[in-house]
Amino acid sequence: MSDNAVSCHSPAPAAAKDNPFLNGLWKQNPVFVQVLGMCPTLAITNSVRNAIAMGLATTFVLTGSNCLISMVRKMVPKQVRIATYIAIIATMVTLVDYLVKAISITVYKALGAYIPLIVANCIILERAEAYAGKKPVLKSTLDGLGMGLGFAFALSCLGTVREVLGAGTFLGVHIFGPNFEPWVLFLLPPGGFISLAIWLLTFATFRERKAKREAAKAKADLEQLEAAAV
Amino acid sequence: MTPTVPMIKVLGTVSLLCGLLIVGADVNTHARIRHNQELMMKESVAHLLPGIQKQVIYGIEDNGDLKILPGVEGENVKRMFAGYDSSGKFLGVVIEASERGYADVISAMYAYSPDKKVVSGYQVVDMRETPGLGSRIGTDEKFAENFKELDATHPIKTVKHGTKQNPWEIDAISGATISSRAVGRMLQKSVAEMVPVINKNLDRIKRGD
Repeated sequence: MSDNAVSCHSPAPAAAKDNPFLNGLWKQNPVFVQVLGMCPTLAITNSVRNAIAMGLATTFVLTGSNCLISMVRKMVPKQVRIATYIAIIATMVTLVDYLVKAISITVYKALGAYIPLIVANCIILERAEAYAGKKPVLKSTLDGLGMGLGFAFALSCLGTVREVLGAGTFLGVHIFGPNFEPWVLFLLPPGGFISLAIWLLTFATFRERKAKREAAKAKADLEQLEAAAV
Repeated sequence: MTPTVPMIKVLGTVSLLCGLLIVGADVNTHARIRHNQELMMKESVAHLLPGIQKQVIYGIEDNGDLKILPGVEGENVKRMFAGYDSSGKFLGVVIEASERGYADVISAMYAYSPDKKVVSGYQVVDMRETPGLGSRIGTDEKFAENFKELDATHPIKTVKHGTKQNPWEIDAISGATISSRAVGRMLQKSVAEMVPVINKNLDRIKRGD
């Protein structure tokens, strides 16, 4: 498995090695590129507030677990590495559970049982196995931070579409007039799938256009070089 | 060959460190979490007794006597909230209850009307039931309708979804039977314990002294 290996859903972009922070945030975005962690992505994005809270909770777990796993990576026999990773990840999730409960019980109630389920979020174990178990502490921490913020960004994008269309609000503030009829479908599970599809399409189109532009530029440069050589 | 000793050493050390982290988090957040839960409790009382303007918190002693508590602070204290409207008219009581659910303990508060002898409302305070299934005991509107006028003169029982026939029965949520039954058990146990205490002290509770 390569250092930046991702799931079977999509290949890692060639340029993914450059910056562990930016990779997670954009180039290897866990939701829009790797299509990982779909359970919380679809389940809790019916409001921006929940999406941000879940994104930040996952960021904390990813950053902390990547950092700790990287620290102990040379001591852990390969036979028990997954068990060790899971113990560390579960600890980080428990810490988040306590912290969210202490910061806001309303957010805790809204996120409900999804916080303990962060432990089963495949992004976290995937980054532990593919990156933090092989790389130094700083790089692993940056990777966790980037991936977590990328996840939070994706969740916020979905949450924005669903809350604005489904409730006519943004972060609880009404943004349309009293005549706006909320599109309740967007707050329901089908709305999650529709919003995700819209964002995946937008992201894929954006990446494809960028790749085409870069290919055209590279071709033009090559032609220029050939012309200069002749 | 499998390196047994290093495996035990690593797993033991990691588990110890993880345990210390969790204990540290628990110790440092405990007071704050308790404060937040108390605020949530107050909101639940207001939700369960619409029109409430004044409340008296009673602590229940082992012999069934009541004593007025200054606030909701304190753990392992059996509490009951009596609510009154702006004219001082008694509205009902709200009681804390808990029971083992599918994943963990379900904590809830329910309103009881001593005059009508019914459970008149219910709200989950804390639970860890499966999202989308068991968690519906706290969100399903049809399930909540069970508790609008739930007869408390008869043992409360959870019945299979769609088979409710009597006012003391709770219509279970399809796909969340274990959690629904836990709610039924919780209410039955709590009502059986608390109703005699309420009846014994009813005049005092109505006066709010």
